[in-house]
Amino acid sequence: MKGLLRLALLVALAIWAWRRFLGRGEPSERASVSYADGSALVLEPGSPGFERLAAIGRSALGR
Amino acid sequence: MTPRDRSPASVARVDAKQALAELVELSSQIRAAVVLGGDGAVLASTSDDAGAAEDLGRSALELTEAARELHAGGDNVTRVEVELEEGALFVVRSGGRTAAATTGPQPTSGLVVYDLRTCLDRIEDEVKPKRRRRVATPKESE
Repeated sequence: MKGLLRLALLVALAIWAWRRFLGRGEPSERASVSYADGSALVLEPGSPGFERLAAIGRSALGR
Repeated sequence: MTPRDRSPASVARVDAKQALAELVELSSQIRAAVVLGGDGAVLASTSDDAGAAEDLGRSALELTEAARELHAGGDNVTRVEVELEEGALFVVRSGGRTAAATTGPQPTSGLVVYDLRTCLDRIEDEVKPKRRRRVATPKESE
């Protein structure tokens, strides 16, 4: 029983370490737009248009 | 709070200031918010500072315009979200009005958008003055 608990703890630790140091998380910055025709855009840093929307957002948040 | 508690259908229509006050009470994530009319004028704001409200309103309109230019057809924008490390800016448009709000980092986007849309849907249309029927003067009736 003790061995099983130790194994579970090790697996959990390994998963946490993998996600923390090696796993690729979601980008913390993004922009998304929806239109009246039902279409939508998701923009991530580096994509065209993101920097313009981000600059407006930064200016609004910085006030 | 369950989604049913937030249902816009179960509440009466109110003016922009009241709708915004209730929005802020409901959504603890919102730091500042404004409601703009169809002409871009500020109808209501969470801030007492008129300049700050104007600035947030201007940012909302700029964001909507920039988002519109990204679409090939130049279609109407109904929602824009910009999530940054320092916080997020949300703009929702409905019924000719615009609601904009800023939040802290990593907000629950769906909930903030839902609350902004509910706020806009709750705002009643401005009561238009009824046309007065012209009463004929005794001279005219002769």
